[in-house]
Amino acid sequence: MWIQVLLIVGAVASLLAFARFEHGVRMQASKKLAFFGFVALTVYSVLRPNDVNWVANRLGVGRGADLILYIMAIAMIFLVLNTFMRFRAIDRQMTDLVRALALREAERDNAERLGAAAMRGESTPASD
Amino acid sequence: MVVPVFNEDSVIATVVKELLTVFPNVVCVDDGSADRSAAEIATTRAHLVRHPMNLGQGAALQTGLSYALGRPGGQFFVTFDADGQHRVEDALAMVDVVRGGECDVALGSRFLAEAEATQTQTSVPAHKRLLLRAIAALSPSARKLELTDAHNGLRVLNRDVAVHLHITMNGMAHASEIVSFLSAGSWRVQEVPVAIKYTDYSMAKGQSLINGVNILFDLSVKQRGKLS
Repeated sequence: MWIQVLLIVGAVASLLAFARFEHGVRMQASKKLAFFGFVALTVYSVLRPNDVNWVANRLGVGRGADLILYIMAIAMIFLVLNTFMRFRAIDRQMTDLVRALALREAERDNAERLGAAAMRGESTPASD
Repeated sequence: MVVPVFNEDSVIATVVKELLTVFPNVVCVDDGSADRSAAEIATTRAHLVRHPMNLGQGAALQTGLSYALGRPGGQFFVTFDADGQHRVEDALAMVDVVRGGECDVALGSRFLAEAEATQTQTSVPAHKRLLLRAIAALSPSARKLELTDAHNGLRVLNRDVAVHLHITMNGMAHASEIVSFLSAGSWRVQEVPVAIKYTDYSMAKGQSLINGVNILFDLSVKQRGKLS
């Protein structure tokens, strides 16, 4: 059945897209295009549900509604991966920010607390 | 000497004071502790770096190393767990090994034959032994370096290694990340036998078996995408 091929290819492709492809301008643009395509398809299928049924039958799916459900499942995988990548990028940025802040404050506070010699890392034995 | 600290206020001052008797420059990174850890560290002569929020042990180690590298005098960089499970004399011995110039990195191992012999009545619990040995045996980079213990918090790096190491795994996966960094570069790595003091305190704070699942997941997605 065609639908099985399509679904498996779709799921694997979305995984590969995240594993391999650069997340540059092209990826951004294709996400937007995919979104507009999705909206257009939604409007079309609301207006002419029988056409969706027809496509579904061609692909070996019983009803149009089932076809849409399957497409949603693929879209869901895509969305989860997308969100995961986004969170990871934010995580890294936050780490860099927190580290820069922590180091800046530490340089200032420790110079006050421990003196200039300690800040140069000289091997003077501790005095307390 | 870099010590990542997260909620250790009951022991940290003792651990740091003991370290300071031998190592003059100790950096404690308080990883957003909710308790009095920072105040306890402030009573000692250790350098204190505070993360405004909790990021994880890997992130704390990297922050501590970055701070220590900012001190021009530092030649050797030691990572040391805050819960008091390591022995200061082991750290000293490891610094001597690296100072001797035979290697760039010394990693503590509780499973080398010599370590097993000195391990006293508080030896490594059976389930931990099994897990840690399995990680060391299964990880390709740990095998390449012929490591027996892949997750020991006690390490000594020379300045060259510390400059090039960039820990991106904020959580506990940093231990494996460091091992793969060492095996990918042409660093000379040597394991040194160390003893671990398994007290009730350090056992309660230590790695649970289930966290191994999280570590494996973090590592497997690290290699994906071009972001890293």
